[in-house]
Amino acid sequence: MTIARSLLPAVVVLSAILIVALLIGVSVGSAQVSWRDIADDEIAGAILLRIRVPRVLAAALVGAILAVAGLTFQTLLRNPLADPFILGVSGGAAAGAAVASALGWGRVPGLVQLVAFAGACAATAAVFLLARRRDHTDPTRLLLAGLVLNAFFSAVILMAFSFSKQSDLTGALRWMMGTLFGATWTEVLLLAIFLTAALIALAWMASDLRMLVFGEEDARGRGVDVERIKLAGFVCGSLITGAAVSVSGVIGFVGLLVPHLMRLIWRRDFRFLLPLTALGGASLLVAADVISRVAIPSAELPIAALTALLGVPLFLSLLRRDL
Amino acid sequence: MLEVRSIGFSYPRAPAAVDMVTFSVERGKLLALAGQNGSGKSTLLKMLARVGTPHTGEVRFEGRSLREWGAKDYARQVGYLPQEPDATFSMRAIDIVVTGRAPFLTRFAWEGESDYAAAAGALAMCDASHLGERYLDEMSGGERKRVFLARVLAGNPRLILLDEPLAALDLAHVQQFSKLLRQIVDRTGATVIFASHDLNWAAAYSDRMLVMRDGALAADLPPAELMQPDRIRDLFGFDAHAVTTSGHTWIVPAR
Repeated sequence: MTIARSLLPAVVVLSAILIVALLIGVSVGSAQVSWRDIADDEIAGAILLRIRVPRVLAAALVGAILAVAGLTFQTLLRNPLADPFILGVSGGAAAGAAVASALGWGRVPGLVQLVAFAGACAATAAVFLLARRRDHTDPTRLLLAGLVLNAFFSAVILMAFSFSKQSDLTGALRWMMGTLFGATWTEVLLLAIFLTAALIALAWMASDLRMLVFGEEDARGRGVDVERIKLAGFVCGSLITGAAVSVSGVIGFVGLLVPHLMRLIWRRDFRFLLPLTALGGASLLVAADVISRVAIPSAELPIAALTALLGVPLFLSLLRRDL
Repeated sequence: MLEVRSIGFSYPRAPAAVDMVTFSVERGKLLALAGQNGSGKSTLLKMLARVGTPHTGEVRFEGRSLREWGAKDYARQVGYLPQEPDATFSMRAIDIVVTGRAPFLTRFAWEGESDYAAAAGALAMCDASHLGERYLDEMSGGERKRVFLARVLAGNPRLILLDEPLAALDLAHVQQFSKLLRQIVDRTGATVIFASHDLNWAAAYSDRMLVMRDGALAADLPPAELMQPDRIRDLFGFDAHAVTTSGHTWIVPAR
């Protein structure tokens, strides 16, 4: 069977899973409201449409973005351990966003996002230059670079909030630990635009990007403009990571977990995995968000703790295999 | 069909890896590229494959400089097998072989039935049909080599550049592959240039042998003229006997 024909059933199954996850996501929560209440109960309507629906959609979009960014970085760096969180790209974005909001730039629309993008791009460039060895990236150097960058960015975030007028460390925690609490429709729209643009760009490049799995020289021999595709891919991955982090803060391991899960089920190339990873990432983060909301009554589990609980064992097993 | 005019290439802080190499090849020839480790064989092949750009001189294919060829156009004509072909993430062999058709596809097109048929044919040519449904990480080094050689052949290239295609193969497949390269040349009229450490197999079926030493072209001879003990001593630095059986000369290292 050709690859193309086996993609459709996979997309259908994952879309169905995502729809179920979204429906559960808007139906459960600390307040008991149902769709029937919307018509005659103003508060129930407000809870659903102004709080819960945007939050669930933001979870789906952030999940899809992080998973797609992870897949893209793994493909570009030819390294299975690449993930926006581990590489420090999320950290860079969070540091940018945290500094901007600590300085009170949050009032200017789009400015926090812009600084978050700058942080993400700077982190990507740094990690890439530090870990590069000829036509691949050395896993040890990659992890060390990510580790050091993450430590640095955490320090920047803490400093920013310590020196800010409010001196409010819970603000710093929001960026460092990640939450989908308080997501707005504006943010949902922003994420949707970025994800759509990135998916179009990546689909446009997919037939070339997938050839990188065979090495840069091989890809060049197949007529791929490797340098251009790498630059475009890194910019794409950094921009969407910046967008996601500017909304949710740092949520780790999604970009590692989802592409590997998809690859475990369908052992195929980038072009095939791209739509599946987006759908899988969305489903995973919606599910994680539901668990974080209902696990403890009247309180919220940090969602990044949940993704880390799932992601760390996988990371360790990959590390054992690759180093 | 291929003209190489005094090309040179050097890596940073190192003497020239390829130094003023000039030769030309016509259609339907099998060329072996011999030489010691680090003599510049791989670097030369990369420049012919348009993977690397020469710092001096130029390469012309079908009368046009490689600089004038579009990347995809050239990839449709020329197949290149790197020295250690591998994939970061394991896939089915047939799905790997079919990517050899990629330069022929438009941007959003996926490989169709005819591409898969070409891939299956290429696998069969490399005695690897049984590997089609298997995954790369379950294969030995030699089996992988066969899969990646099939990937090169799947594009029906007119110029085939192979970097050490015989390394990592067992003797049965070394024999079979050397013959296969000859058959491809004779049947399709393609030109094959392959680098090899094994002088005897390099000489066995080739029309010409290029020998590189310190980046320069040290010899360009028919195999029968190269495979002589005094030439071998000059070019490769080891003492050898020439043994002729059934009309073919083999070089055997002296004790």
